[in-house]
Amino acid sequence: MKILIIEDEEGLRESIEEYFTDDNNICETAKTYTAALSKINLYRYDCILLDITLPGGSGMDILKVLKENNYPDGVLIISAKNSLDDRIDGLNLGADDYLVKPFHLSELKARVSAIIRRKTFNGSNQLIFNELAIDLLAKEVKVGQNQVKLTRKEYALLLYFIANKGKVVSKNAIAEHLWGDGIDLADNFDFIYSHIKNVRKKLVEGGCRDYIQAAYGMGYKFSDQ
Amino acid sequence: MKLQTRYNYVNLVTTVIVLLITGLVYYQAISWILTWQKDKDLKDEEQEIFQYVSLNHQLPQTFETNDQQISFAAAAPGSVRREFINTVYFKKWDQGEGRHRRHHGKGGEYEPGRGLVTSVGVGDQYYKVLIVESEVETEDLIRLIFTITIGVILFLLLVLLLINRLVLRRLWRPFYGIMGELRSFNIADNREVTKVDTSTDEFRELNVVVTNMAQKAKHDYKDLKAFTENASHELLTPIAVINSKLDTLIQTGNLNEKQSGLLNDLYSAVSRLNRLNQSLLLLVKIENRLLHEQKPINLKELVEETITQLEEIFNDKSLTVSCSLEEKQITGSRYLAEILVSNLVNNAVRHNYRGGEIVITLTAGSLVVKNTGEDWPLDAERIFTRFHKSSGSEGSGLGLTISKQICNNFGFSLDYSFRDAYHTFTIGFDGVATPD
Repeated sequence: MKILIIEDEEGLRESIEEYFTDDNNICETAKTYTAALSKINLYRYDCILLDITLPGGSGMDILKVLKENNYPDGVLIISAKNSLDDRIDGLNLGADDYLVKPFHLSELKARVSAIIRRKTFNGSNQLIFNELAIDLLAKEVKVGQNQVKLTRKEYALLLYFIANKGKVVSKNAIAEHLWGDGIDLADNFDFIYSHIKNVRKKLVEGGCRDYIQAAYGMGYKFSDQ
Repeated sequence: MKLQTRYNYVNLVTTVIVLLITGLVYYQAISWILTWQKDKDLKDEEQEIFQYVSLNHQLPQTFETNDQQISFAAAAPGSVRREFINTVYFKKWDQGEGRHRRHHGKGGEYEPGRGLVTSVGVGDQYYKVLIVESEVETEDLIRLIFTITIGVILFLLLVLLLINRLVLRRLWRPFYGIMGELRSFNIADNREVTKVDTSTDEFRELNVVVTNMAQKAKHDYKDLKAFTENASHELLTPIAVINSKLDTLIQTGNLNEKQSGLLNDLYSAVSRLNRLNQSLLLLVKIENRLLHEQKPINLKELVEETITQLEEIFNDKSLTVSCSLEEKQITGSRYLAEILVSNLVNNAVRHNYRGGEIVITLTAGSLVVKNTGEDWPLDAERIFTRFHKSSGSEGSGLGLTISKQICNNFGFSLDYSFRDAYHTFTIGFDGVATPD
């Protein structure tokens, strides 16, 4: 998977690059408007992470160039401009998704995975992870022939884990993914624990291996190792 | 007291005093002139007597002309001092006149008179002469003048009053216009203070001063808001970096219990910082009316979605949630409506105890969110102010401020009450609090 990270903030760019660079992913980066423009004109990417405020120009213009040339790259806007108009403008211009800073890397990964999945399989597909088969349209999870009944949130959680497989995902990131930014659970993370316990139990009962491991008391890791 | 009334009052009193003094002076002057005139007549008469005596060497016959009486009396030589006196004049009535004056049996009446006492010598005989003239006509004249003066005073007062009433009101109109502008002045409003059209220098000046002041206040307020917005905005990137670095750090593996404890604390602090920052940005946006989208929103569906979204959290805290929702459509920004509903419901969860209760009622007139919690009422005055938090609250202290602002934006009212151990927040859709 080829990903282009267009972001001028060094700390953020490095973290994203590090988080995304592993198994099959190749990451390239661009710090400025001109650098980004030359890259998108030369190469094609599965997904482009696009910051709006760039030295030398606006990310929106890069998006316009992409769309004018009918480049098929998936585009995820990452921006500090959390205004509704910006979001709508970006999506109207043809961006696939919009993520507001600050965000968890796991959230970013989940969004990018979703974009790539849509691009690659044209929207109708099965997501396979070892013995797990997920029908993304019907939102059904199967282990072999056994169907596993998951609630809406449990299903979302499973997808989130698979997108971030091999990574430690913090409890904060999980809570915000499932219940929105507004959620304030500083006083009580227990129910995430019970939530995850339910998913594990259902999957194991369905005949699946237990891929979800607790990690240092701060998060969880979905891994087949 | 109104300026106009005060002015009228002062004006009236001064006018009356000045006119009275004028009247008095007038009276004095007139009566002095008339007396002087009378005295001149008397002197002429005296002169005539002297001429007669010196020509004829005898006293003239005493006769009575119109309003003039002359009498002679023998006196010791040199005993009479020449002087003008105020005296009385006995006036005999004409034949027909007496009939109407039954009360007097004297055949005449006394009138005020002016007299001259003088002396004349005829041969060696010395006489005292008394010439009296009636002053009744003078008095009549003075009375007439006085009446006219009073009449003028009253007329003048009336005219002044009318002028004050009509002209002053018109003159002060720009002032009231400016007052009205000031009254409706709202610092957060984008509307400029309109200039009142006037040709009066003072009001024009006042107008300029007021307009400038309003502009400056607005400008400063805008600066302050821009500062808040920029500051919050600038904070986003460092928070994003911290967040991403933390996410990277936990991938490094082999963290011991102490390290992961510290990381957990860092995570929650950053997430709180982030929420606080987002809330500030949102507040600025609402106040700037940047979220002016007008869309129909099905509030019933919105509340149901919010409740579904938070189901696990209700279960975790063993909260009983009961809803009674009627169909209700509102118009506005869906984004804001979502925040409003979720803020109120989140509050009801956060300030609840384990096993508590939440009651949500949606009617055509209001949305009421009631929850159990602490046993004493909150400070209804202060809960909507920024950064007011109940002790031990983990919230940003901006949730209710935001809710209130959103309600203002929608033209709704938001009120708090504490009833039967329920903390109750009521959104009134018509902008007026509905008693429940």
